[in-house]
Amino acid sequence: MSEHRPPALRAVLIGLVFGAIAVHLAIVGVLLMIHQRWIVIDTLSLGQATLVTIGLGAGAMAATRVARQGGAFGGGAVGHLLIGAIAGAACGVPIAVLAALMVLLPLQSIFIALSPDLLDMLTFGQGIEFGMPMLITGATLTGLAGAALSLAPPDLRRALVPGAVTVVVAGVFQELIQLMLQQWEGVVTDIREFFYTWEGLSVQGAVALFVIATGLGLLFRMAQRHRVARRGPPDPKRTRLMWAGISLLVLIVLPALAGSYIGQVLMLVGLYILMGMGLNLEVGLAGLLDLGFVAFFAVGAYTTAILTADSHVALMHLPYWGAMPVSVLLAVGVGVLFGLPVLGVRGDYLAVATMGLGEIVRVLVLSDFAAPLLGGAQGILQIPKPRIGDFVLGTPVSLFYLTLVCSGVAAFIAWRLENSRLGRAWMALRDDEDVAQALGINLVQSKLLAYGLGAAFAGLAGSIFAAMLTSVYPSSFQLLISVNVLALIIVGGMGSLPGVVLGSIALIGLPELLREFGEYRYLFYGVALVIMMRLKPEGLWPSEARQRELHSRDETLALDAGTDAVPAQGD
Amino acid sequence: MSQVLTQPAPQRPPWLAALARVNAVDIVLWLLRIGVVVVVVAGTIGTILKDRYTAAQWVDFVVFGLTIGAIYAQIALGYTMVYGVLRMINFAHGDFVMCGAFAGYFVATPLSRSGFLQDHAVLGMSAILAVSVLTSTTIALLTERIAYRPFRRVSGLAPLICAIGVSFFLEQTFRGMFGSAVKSYPTPAWQAVAFDVFGFHIPRVDVLVIALAIFFMGGLYLIVQRTKMGTAMRAVAEDGEAAALMGIDVNKVVVFTFILGGAMAGIAGVFYAFVYKQVYFYMGFTPGIKAFGAAVLGGIGNIPGAMLGGIFLGMVESIGPTLFLDGLGIPAPYQLRDLIAFTLLIMVLVFRPQGLLGEKMAKKRA
Amino acid sequence: MTEDIKQPGFRRLVLLTAAMVAFGVGVARAATAGPVTDDIGVLRIPQGAPILVGGSWVQSGPDTALGLNQKRAVEIAMKDLGGKLLGHPLKLDAEDDLCTAEGGQTVATKFAANPQIVVVLGPGCSSAATPGAPILWQVGIVDICTSCTAPKLTAADRKPEYAGFARTVYSDIEQGKADATDAVKMAKAKTVATIHDGSPYAQQLQQVFADNVVAMGGKVVAQEAVAPTDVDMHPVLTRIASAKPDLIYYPLFTAVAAQVSRQAKETPGLEKVKLMGGTSMLSADFIEGAGPSVIGLLFGNPDLSPDAIGKGYSKFVADCKKAYGEAPISGFHANAYDAPTLTVKAIVKVAKPDKDGNLYIGRKAFRDAVFSIRFEGISGPIACDPYGECSQFKPSVLEFTSGDPKTFGIGQNPKKIWP
Repeated sequence: MSEHRPPALRAVLIGLVFGAIAVHLAIVGVLLMIHQRWIVIDTLSLGQATLVTIGLGAGAMAATRVARQGGAFGGGAVGHLLIGAIAGAACGVPIAVLAALMVLLPLQSIFIALSPDLLDMLTFGQGIEFGMPMLITGATLTGLAGAALSLAPPDLRRALVPGAVTVVVAGVFQELIQLMLQQWEGVVTDIREFFYTWEGLSVQGAVALFVIATGLGLLFRMAQRHRVARRGPPDPKRTRLMWAGISLLVLIVLPALAGSYIGQVLMLVGLYILMGMGLNLEVGLAGLLDLGFVAFFAVGAYTTAILTADSHVALMHLPYWGAMPVSVLLAVGVGVLFGLPVLGVRGDYLAVATMGLGEIVRVLVLSDFAAPLLGGAQGILQIPKPRIGDFVLGTPVSLFYLTLVCSGVAAFIAWRLENSRLGRAWMALRDDEDVAQALGINLVQSKLLAYGLGAAFAGLAGSIFAAMLTSVYPSSFQLLISVNVLALIIVGGMGSLPGVVLGSIALIGLPELLREFGEYRYLFYGVALVIMMRLKPEGLWPSEARQRELHSRDETLALDAGTDAVPAQGD
Repeated sequence: MSQVLTQPAPQRPPWLAALARVNAVDIVLWLLRIGVVVVVVAGTIGTILKDRYTAAQWVDFVVFGLTIGAIYAQIALGYTMVYGVLRMINFAHGDFVMCGAFAGYFVATPLSRSGFLQDHAVLGMSAILAVSVLTSTTIALLTERIAYRPFRRVSGLAPLICAIGVSFFLEQTFRGMFGSAVKSYPTPAWQAVAFDVFGFHIPRVDVLVIALAIFFMGGLYLIVQRTKMGTAMRAVAEDGEAAALMGIDVNKVVVFTFILGGAMAGIAGVFYAFVYKQVYFYMGFTPGIKAFGAAVLGGIGNIPGAMLGGIFLGMVESIGPTLFLDGLGIPAPYQLRDLIAFTLLIMVLVFRPQGLLGEKMAKKRA
Repeated sequence: MTEDIKQPGFRRLVLLTAAMVAFGVGVARAATAGPVTDDIGVLRIPQGAPILVGGSWVQSGPDTALGLNQKRAVEIAMKDLGGKLLGHPLKLDAEDDLCTAEGGQTVATKFAANPQIVVVLGPGCSSAATPGAPILWQVGIVDICTSCTAPKLTAADRKPEYAGFARTVYSDIEQGKADATDAVKMAKAKTVATIHDGSPYAQQLQQVFADNVVAMGGKVVAQEAVAPTDVDMHPVLTRIASAKPDLIYYPLFTAVAAQVSRQAKETPGLEKVKLMGGTSMLSADFIEGAGPSVIGLLFGNPDLSPDAIGKGYSKFVADCKKAYGEAPISGFHANAYDAPTLTVKAIVKVAKPDKDGNLYIGRKAFRDAVFSIRFEGISGPIACDPYGECSQFKPSVLEFTSGDPKTFGIGQNPKKIWP
């Protein structure tokens, strides 16, 4: 936004942008879909809540932006409110125009989501003549409310927002929450029935939840202020470690308490953590951009399958524990072989070369040519589950703990590697290959070790994956897996072990939460990726060395201790 | 490339001395190269000896390869220009192609239904191309403004992830707006005619697409080489900071780059849809990946390289499976099409790590 | 992290978990609730609560059309069935299984953890059903699959963990045999070529087809494969042309199938060759994609019931357009439409209400009901055999008559030409 525009115009522009977001949601069909879901039964649908949030956002944003540049209409609260109202009205205009166009033109023949039901929602079921003025009035009022909210005392605002968010989250994820509550049926039935109906929150439940969350928010802020007054601001590092400890504990205990679905999701998260740690050695430490990581995952899975399955392509019928080390070793071998031809290739060229290697493995596994050995399109079925004595690791929860143990061991190895001579050689390699060579680092050896060790982690993940599914199909080894693993270490923070964990949870867990949105979940996933990267381009938990590089200007804020302390947080 | 450091000039000692310095890695690499060459040669000889295909069929393979190659080349141009200026892989570029193809569809269908496209071929095609280019360019510019500009000063791979997010967003937006169904471009009668060249039968739409692609790519090359804006673009690609110091408005150059890239994507989208007919929300992904490979193959950041890379990839995909694998008696060779394409791509990079026409890359990306 | 694992607390946790799981399974066996006693377990649906039906189809990525299409068919069927049953609303909870094994397993685990799920419809892919179905049956949930055609799933020697699996679609063995018979006996093809796209469905089907053609004295001159993302089929078709087949068989999905149909007509040497597809092509979307090249294209399909060819099927297509803005976008919607019908009939047969309006369904009783009910579905007669094969296969051959997708409707386009 230009600095020179008059405040009212700026408000209109902000409003129009928010209106465009609403129109986008309507045209792609999200709005109608979420309108059919109740947050509070028979009172507030998710679609309505979304529109209100957009209006509030427009008002609040316009008011704060204008305030930052000296206010409008003579300044003061009235000026702010007026700006909010203008932004709100402007936000309503595109939606109203869409509604009008839907009446005038047969738009549904091109935009399939613009159905009569949507029109009904946008005009409050009143028809276009009454609906349009209502829409604009409503938008103006929400804009006004948004501005008022931005003027409210910060403590109140910071308490109201979590209150509202709690209600919305409890409403949106009602199915998931009710599912978890049903595990304890009998103990919590009454509580569940107080808060929930079968389709969403009950009215009394929503009010109670809002009051509780707002109250807790207020209390928390007051307590915090009290503590800050007594002991000074909290040490950001200690807070971070505390949160990490808590979340790790939750991660470990949750599957046992929350049942097999959560166990299954966390198991997948665990597999990606394993792969992420492997790729982190390659990309994060050694700086070797790799888009073909899925190849090692596939090698691990197929080796386990061939060595254990009850299938005509199987070579042996080893128990799982015999096949797992072989899978890891073979993955290491393939990793080294994989690294050999691309030794001299650098940067983005390396990305394409490795992507090609990954695709070659996928195509081979799928092909009729290799089908007599690898099963081709039909995959390999009937892989036994791992067993310890008579205990079969059959449930997702037990397999999750297996993954957890493996991740723990892998994390320890990764951490030791990071601080070893080899790890320092990798980092030198990452920072400047030519200088590293001049310093006497053996490029060939370091690079091949990076590929081989990285592949070992992925091979282990693949081996567990095969045991988890008891079947492997070529369709599980798409390019998208490589992209996902790369994305998660970048989202988590390059070269940082806790970052890998956070990144996996964000990128693998998030689509699971978004299941609620059915076919639209990757729309939100894409938006979430963009927003995450815009807010934290260095990742959620950047390695501290890297953070210094990126923010050399605000050095004072960066944490000064080394990375050594980080993996000890699990204690 | 920014800051081209001079490589130590390769010494050329006598062959015996060179042999003495050979290590295990070199041997493996040479074995690999020899292995690929042996497979290629043996397969080719086998295929030729089998004599299963007529000359006309070989010509067909070449024409099909040129057509898809010309389309890859146009998409690759967008990748390569953005990379040259911003040093980022624009993962969403394939989806710009999809957006353009969709927009063109909504013009082509009514034009075809009213008979206009049949009677006024040039005018009709121009209208379709114009709408497609406009859409792709608009979306490219919006993407740049909203998703990429904030990363201008950020090093690392964050922009790549952002681009992946944009790719998901665009695909799902178009799926939501226009449905998951496959939509089909019309086939005006003048497209269905075939040329007869020296007794070979060549479909007219392929010839048109190849000729027009060369025309547009030539135009683009001239813009980049001859205009003031093009010169500024090359200056920024060479060294962004120095260019800014010389008074070049980097923002303007980036916007210009995205306009050119978006326009090429729009044109490629329409051509793609006229040859292969189908448009649907996921159609940009695979050609996008292939074109990215082509851009790198040619030497990323290098415009003639992208064209060459695209054509090379298209030809390998079309001819490769038959020429190299048929003779070896491998079942279903076209299933291994990507394998051949990527193997050759990697072989090129093994021989020339900087791509076919790329400069030596002395300083890699962080 | 490693330190945690060595702590005795962790081991206790594992044991605790194991015990809880074992206990949970134990509870699921033999139970009485309200008026119902059942060997496996009883599902209680409280008064006013919905009857929850799980759905597992691919809803993202390149295969979206396949899954979304079946989900819509089920939604339409549920609307046609009244949306309500015995005083409880019918509710579909559809999840995205990505058409992969891991996706299918995750979705199945999610449903298995939900004690209110009566039945799961779908998945659309055999690779998702293979790991998913045993997880569901472990907790007594029946899985009625809508387009997974892998023969192993309903083979006579299938493992007991698949006992809860049934499907309203036929096995590739039946379909491939019928298609081969049509090709050799009806279309009089002596030499055939096949194309598959690397999906388990197409690969299996073309193999069964090829084996049967050889058994009937025909000759298979080429078995080719492409990638589902390929658009340029000319080279592979040129290769096939050099083998001079009488007929090309390609049971592929919409986009790639349409590509093959169009480009076959343009490939020199294939102008006169007969084209034969699979049931996956029964959609308006395929006609849209392939255009005029569909005219004369044959495909084998189970003989649809007279009711379907009458008004049932065309009403379904119209409903689909009205509700979602587009006609059916992929094959197998008729099979998907019949799955909720089967479900509802089975629930009506076994569910018992108590005087407070709660509903009780015995898991084993429900399974047995699904396996014993017979009715005329829109995809043909439905009657399960003991191994869960419910589509009563009566082969027929359909032929497309027009390239205009608006004319799509069974009876006119495609038209039944045999028997």
